[in-house]
Amino acid sequence: MLLDVRDLHVEFRTRDGVARAVNGVSFGVDAGETLAVLGESGSGKSVTAQAVMGILDTPPGRVTGGEVLFQGRDLLKLKEEERRRVRGAGMAMVFQDALSSLNPVLTVGDQLGEMFTVHRGMSRKDARAKAVELMDQVRIPAARERVRQYPHQFSGGMRQRVMIAMAIALEPALIIADEPTTALDVTVQAQVMDLLAELRREYRMGLVLITHDLGVVADVADRIAVMYAGRVVESAPVDDIYKAPAHPYTRGLLDSVPRLDLKGRELHAIRGLPPSLTDVPRGCAFHPRCPMARDVCRTDVPAPHEVSATRAAACHFWKECLNG
Amino acid sequence: MGRYVLRRLVQMVPVFAGATLLIFLMVNVMGDPVAGLCGDRQCDPATAARLRAEFGLDRPVWQQYLTYMGNVFTGDFGTAFNGQKVTELMATAFPVTLRLTIVAVLIEVVVGVTLGVVTGLRRGRPVDTGVLLLTLVVISVPTFVTGLLLQLLLGVEWGWIRPSVSSAAPFGELLLPGLVLASVSLAYVTRLTRTSIAENRRSDYVRTAVAKGLPRRRVVTRHLLRNSLIPVVTFIGADIGFLMGGAIVTERIFNIHGVGFQLYQGILRQNTQTVVGFVTVLVLVFLLCNLVVDLLYAVLDPRIRYA
Repeated sequence: MLLDVRDLHVEFRTRDGVARAVNGVSFGVDAGETLAVLGESGSGKSVTAQAVMGILDTPPGRVTGGEVLFQGRDLLKLKEEERRRVRGAGMAMVFQDALSSLNPVLTVGDQLGEMFTVHRGMSRKDARAKAVELMDQVRIPAARERVRQYPHQFSGGMRQRVMIAMAIALEPALIIADEPTTALDVTVQAQVMDLLAELRREYRMGLVLITHDLGVVADVADRIAVMYAGRVVESAPVDDIYKAPAHPYTRGLLDSVPRLDLKGRELHAIRGLPPSLTDVPRGCAFHPRCPMARDVCRTDVPAPHEVSATRAAACHFWKECLNG
Repeated sequence: MGRYVLRRLVQMVPVFAGATLLIFLMVNVMGDPVAGLCGDRQCDPATAARLRAEFGLDRPVWQQYLTYMGNVFTGDFGTAFNGQKVTELMATAFPVTLRLTIVAVLIEVVVGVTLGVVTGLRRGRPVDTGVLLLTLVVISVPTFVTGLLLQLLLGVEWGWIRPSVSSAAPFGELLLPGLVLASVSLAYVTRLTRTSIAENRRSDYVRTAVAKGLPRRRVVTRHLLRNSLIPVVTFIGADIGFLMGGAIVTERIFNIHGVGFQLYQGILRQNTQTVVGFVTVLVLVFLLCNLVVDLLYAVLDPRIRYA
């Protein structure tokens, strides 16, 4: 397994108390596989990604437990200098908002070339040539001229292509994309997603796709991990989940997608709001919003139950849920 | 870019004219310029009248101003009443003050930015609180107190430096005066850099730089500092003009024969030509500094383009 996250815990110490953002998350990604991490805002999916990358703001954030095995090594046990070498070269990240995530005062060529000068010790001239090559590869037109331009001179879609080019620069084994298309126009979204999927195939990279967009997930993901209040509540191959969810939260998410064939009917929404991370409900964190909740849900945290060899769901009543 | 510079230069003309006219009027209101010529004694009326005619002081003020400006543009700043050419005074005073300003700005940049980065990255820690308190003290205490105190301690009591600067005013002797002159601005530069660094530290592009696996040093200098220095550069640029003219106190304390010293002497002896001439040049320096700052702005932040 390329990336194996086991029982990861992350908390934030704030003035209002300790926020438990990630409470024992486990998931795995194989080489060449696409895992979609699905969840509402505040479910801990971005924090998980940052903890895996090692770019958590510390303080206030702190990894309090678990393992992040990448190519067999536990990243959490590495020294900062060793960890730095993994970042960008072994695993890379694509961020949501390319405009704010790219440095406004450096040219695109400088920011791309930096990967090669720092990690590979290339000369600035060679790095510049590599930057042009990368921009060609992510299909930015007139790469040779645009390499000298600044991020604000690019359109939203082109900027996200620059981000992707930066991520694939050193041909990492794993890419973590944190809502890569959320900030883009719908028409551009598909192009960027296709590009990402194509590059993943070409380089046989693992891809962790963090999103709340179920449409994107169905198209590109192999597996899905659904997160709620800092836990993975269900993980399964994409087809299984769409056929029959084994967790009431997953069911709620799927039902809340507007569908053309049910046009005119009232939209389905999960009632209530996601819990505050400083005050996660006892028992199953989802119970206050769950239509199937019973007494046991208020007291006992459900362990992940094995639904099949490739599938797990953290619900006391996964069987009932599965049978609809 | 070229058109922008041209437009700015043209805009300077009315500002320059207005500022100099104001100074000219103010100096004329200050008192009878001829009175200063006779020293402490009362001038004999016949001599005074002759001098007035000689210097053109019997003509209306606006005519005096136009004549003066006409002369300035041919490089003639007039003659001080003691017979020395004002340009000669400038030739000795400006290099001295320029050296003093260079020392002060270097201290501001090197010490101020360094302290700002260190405290900005460690906000709320003891280093930060300590430096912050120190800057507050420096800002609150007037320059002449800091200056005299340091002069007394380092120069007189401990004898580390010469308490007064020789007339050649080499860089070495200007270190302490430079520090005194820079002290208040230094405190502001520290605070400005600190806030800017602390603000940008959490920005998305810094997170990206870390995620790229860049060494911490490179993240701070190349990505964080470059963006954080934009407001600091504006401040320092505007400060250069201020330091050039505002060194009166420091130059007096350390007996430096620079612009501040000459201005002080000029005002004391009601030496109109000296005062107007020096201030005219200072106005020019100030305007040019501001232009350079605005141009530097575009260099530091490519999102700003002048057309």
